[in-house]
Amino acid sequence: MPEAARKSRQRVHTREELAMPITITRRRLLAGSAATLALPAVVRAQGAKPRLTVISQWSAGSDGAAITALGKKFEEKGGIWQHSPVPGFTTEMMNKLRAQIIAGDPPACSQLKGPEIAAWSKIAPTVNLDALVAAAGYEKVVAPDLARLHKPGGKWISLPLQIYSTNMLYLSKRAMDKAKADKMPVTWADFNDLAEKMKASGITYPMANGGTRPDDGQKFEASFAGISPASYRAAIMNLDENALKGPEIRAAFAQVRKIADWMDPNVGAQPYATNLKRFIDGDMGMMIQGGWAQGVLRNAGFKLEDFIIVPGPSDNTKPVFLLNADAFIFWQRSEPDLQAGQTLMAQLVMDPAIQTMYSQITGSIPVRTDVDLSGAGWSDGQRRTAAALKDAVANNQAVLSLAHNMAQENGLTAAMIDVLTEYVKNKTITPEQAVTRLSEAVEGAR
Amino acid sequence: MTDAVPAATRPGRSTMSGVVRRLPEYLMIWVPLLLSAGHLVSFALWTIWISFTPSTLVPVSGWVGLRNYTAVMATRNWQIAFNNLLLFGGAFVLLSVVTGLVLAILLDQRIRGENVLRSIFLYPLAVSFVVTGTVWSWLLNPGIGVQKLVHDLGWTSFRFDWLVDRDMAIWTIVIAAIWQSSGFAMALFLAGLRSVDADLIKAAQIDGAGPVRMYRRVILPTLWPITITVVVIQLQFAISTFDLVRALTNGGPGIATQLPALVVYDLMFQRGLLGRGAAAAVLMLLILLAVLLPYAAWRYVQRRRASHA
Amino acid sequence: MRERTFAPSRILIYVVVSLIAAAYLAPLAVVVLNSLRTNEEIAQASMIGWPKHWAWSNYVAAWSGFCVAETCAGIRPYMLNSALVTIPATILSTILGAVAGYAVSLWRFRGDSWIYGIVTLGLFLPQQMRLLPWTIVLRDIGLINTLAGLVLIHTIQGLSFTTLFCRNYYVAVPHELIRAARIDGAGFFRIFWRIILPLSPPILIVTVIWQFTHIWNEFLYGVTFTTGQQQPITAALIALSAAVADIPQHGVQSAAVIIAALPTLLVYLLGGRYFVRGLTAGAVK
Repeated sequence: MPEAARKSRQRVHTREELAMPITITRRRLLAGSAATLALPAVVRAQGAKPRLTVISQWSAGSDGAAITALGKKFEEKGGIWQHSPVPGFTTEMMNKLRAQIIAGDPPACSQLKGPEIAAWSKIAPTVNLDALVAAAGYEKVVAPDLARLHKPGGKWISLPLQIYSTNMLYLSKRAMDKAKADKMPVTWADFNDLAEKMKASGITYPMANGGTRPDDGQKFEASFAGISPASYRAAIMNLDENALKGPEIRAAFAQVRKIADWMDPNVGAQPYATNLKRFIDGDMGMMIQGGWAQGVLRNAGFKLEDFIIVPGPSDNTKPVFLLNADAFIFWQRSEPDLQAGQTLMAQLVMDPAIQTMYSQITGSIPVRTDVDLSGAGWSDGQRRTAAALKDAVANNQAVLSLAHNMAQENGLTAAMIDVLTEYVKNKTITPEQAVTRLSEAVEGAR
Repeated sequence: MTDAVPAATRPGRSTMSGVVRRLPEYLMIWVPLLLSAGHLVSFALWTIWISFTPSTLVPVSGWVGLRNYTAVMATRNWQIAFNNLLLFGGAFVLLSVVTGLVLAILLDQRIRGENVLRSIFLYPLAVSFVVTGTVWSWLLNPGIGVQKLVHDLGWTSFRFDWLVDRDMAIWTIVIAAIWQSSGFAMALFLAGLRSVDADLIKAAQIDGAGPVRMYRRVILPTLWPITITVVVIQLQFAISTFDLVRALTNGGPGIATQLPALVVYDLMFQRGLLGRGAAAAVLMLLILLAVLLPYAAWRYVQRRRASHA
Repeated sequence: MRERTFAPSRILIYVVVSLIAAAYLAPLAVVVLNSLRTNEEIAQASMIGWPKHWAWSNYVAAWSGFCVAETCAGIRPYMLNSALVTIPATILSTILGAVAGYAVSLWRFRGDSWIYGIVTLGLFLPQQMRLLPWTIVLRDIGLINTLAGLVLIHTIQGLSFTTLFCRNYYVAVPHELIRAARIDGAGFFRIFWRIILPLSPPILIVTVIWQFTHIWNEFLYGVTFTTGQQQPITAALIALSAAVADIPQHGVQSAAVIIAALPTLLVYLLGGRYFVRGLTAGAVK
């Protein structure tokens, strides 16, 4: 990376002195995107061996395995794959990306998601993928809410890769047997009844949980979107003041309080994976997690038969889908081999076969709504998730996840999760107070 | 201090060739010092500048007055972090000084296995903060750590769930931090104890002083300068501790153990709000100055008094 | 006070010391035990426990087996990177700190108190305030994503500590020694070489131990300013544990932690007595 990068380093901006504001004017941005319309639509047109520099946080586990497999496919097509995994979480990856951008040497392709795509696209020029997307017919098979995120300013600059739902309901078979329950809960009332049944049958903590911030956020968004997806959309995605103070959000906080009372307070800051054993053994009854938990359970040595996955509770009985999607964003580079690499990568990411391979490794579902999930490599949970997505999109009940940074930019999201995590951990805060605090947080972070 | 040979009276000709001859000397003295001081001053100034701009993901120029500061100070995050710093900083510095002193006195008793014990108390310094935070998050977790161990041993009403208790969680950080860094305080105090003037001790023994009086009247007073150094180093540790808290509680439960260093990192890098993060960092520095300036002034006064005496 | 006159009180001392020592050893014991349990066992049982089967293979996996995305070479290459950064940075910051401490305490020049004050105040400048400025500096001198860049950062930042330690040590050197040498015609370097340096081993050991530990265990700069195979060991450890969408591999992770901590542990084990001795010799004013 050092040699070639140093030789062909592209200065995104003129050198300034010690302080270096990167103020990309709109004119410069448009000029940049105009230049990249020349991105080769066919890899071989330029004659350069495609090369790709990639930054992501996926260094281990099934995510690491999936991106490694993607890299191998890239190399099979004749490309040079240069993936730099950044150890840590998304913040560390963003630090690295930011450092590279400031250094004038952005990677050809990097992981990014949600509204951050729009925010980051303002600080460095990106590649216009409209031609490639049109050629692959991708836009037709992507959920509209999702597509919107990846084409800020009307042009495709990033491509979603895989979708998770964050509000899948996991039920422990043994806990269900203990509680003598056989009906899958559909509404929040059903859920509450089942939890009470479990508690009555001796399960002290019907809710298996972790102590991390996304976990607390997930409980809230599952409750709110399950009670009223329209209010969720208005309040959380559009920041409508009335929706932020309305009865639905108050009911959501009340539901969260119920859930919190069914959780083990001793979990501390541990991730949910520490409670998996108790969940499988029936000491804890249910989990509200994303589809990734299925892969985790399998890798931890637990059997698929021991748990059931159903869509999260929804009060109008039609599935609500809380979208969490990973994506790749493409940064403007002038080197022909990197441009060829970007073309190849974009084509791979949109390819249904590649999406199938990727999702089967990580436990997600493909972005493309036209992929057939009846084959052997898919689990029932994934099939149900895909069906739920289709259904939810048709009924306009597919919303963006707050806890996983899809609904709002990181700054606002974190301010809201501050309120949520405090509420979950502090039983003395009433739902009314929480509602007030949340709308104050939104005001303060604007 | 003031009787060191001043530059003006140095032997050697003060001509051009004299300057050239002494160039390597000037370079060696000045370059490292200037690099160090220079980078510190310029980084601090840069951060102060950024705190007045509307920077979010990357630094940009502009002027927003005090808006970043008021926004930061209005958040519960910052208010809790500020209180926690006072509480944690004060408690940690005090307790680690006491712990270090106690350990040093214990080791000073000429007991067997002193080398082994010293290694045991010093090795935590070798461990990275992330590892410390992670391991203590297991040990202090009521469900898997000490509380569970004691329950399994039979004492089922024992409670040690500070880690998940909003009001007590900050003390778990104190515990882990003391484990990590009191070895250094111990080493310094041990060094001080060992260098007490032997004649003073003999004189006190002749006067019939027992061990306790010996410590109180003769030994501890001479440790005063060392105590200052320990306090300074531990204060620095308390202000900048970041990895340890992230691994131990991640600011939780909820936001009960937020600390300024976490808030700064969070604002700057996690939330992509550079301007606000810089404002929080400057506020941190102001808190530090509020502690250090009085001390520096006191030292200055002391030195003036000493040189006039 | 230093006589063995009171037997019960000596027993009390031994008991108290043993209890405290046990508390200090507990975390290390937990990690060592975990490093010998299999990942599955830890996931199925609890973070703290006695190994059911002795999984020595964890160490092999940690050393040369486990994968960070595409590369499956264990933590071995990262240890080398850490060494390539830590050793030069430690040596450089120690030498420069010694010279600076000597200059500020014994040689004296105009403004030396001010510079010394700024340098030591720099101890308190938080890490987060330095990340972006260093990015800009490294970019402007072309050292982003190089180990040399990391060495530069750690050397300059280490100067705060090393100057502090060395200066506090050198103030105890009698001025007559220096003055006599000056009258004999010795210059800055000769005095440093002939007089100061031979007196310095105790404090140099202290600074070497301190710097080595801090640079070896440092994470933030190591991850942000290096890439791929150049990353230091702390980055690899985080890669092991940050597998959010997968089972945390606590067994292998603990083995990796032990291996990664060995150099610093050894440094403290072997150098511990010199650490105290170095601090004894007037390290504090």
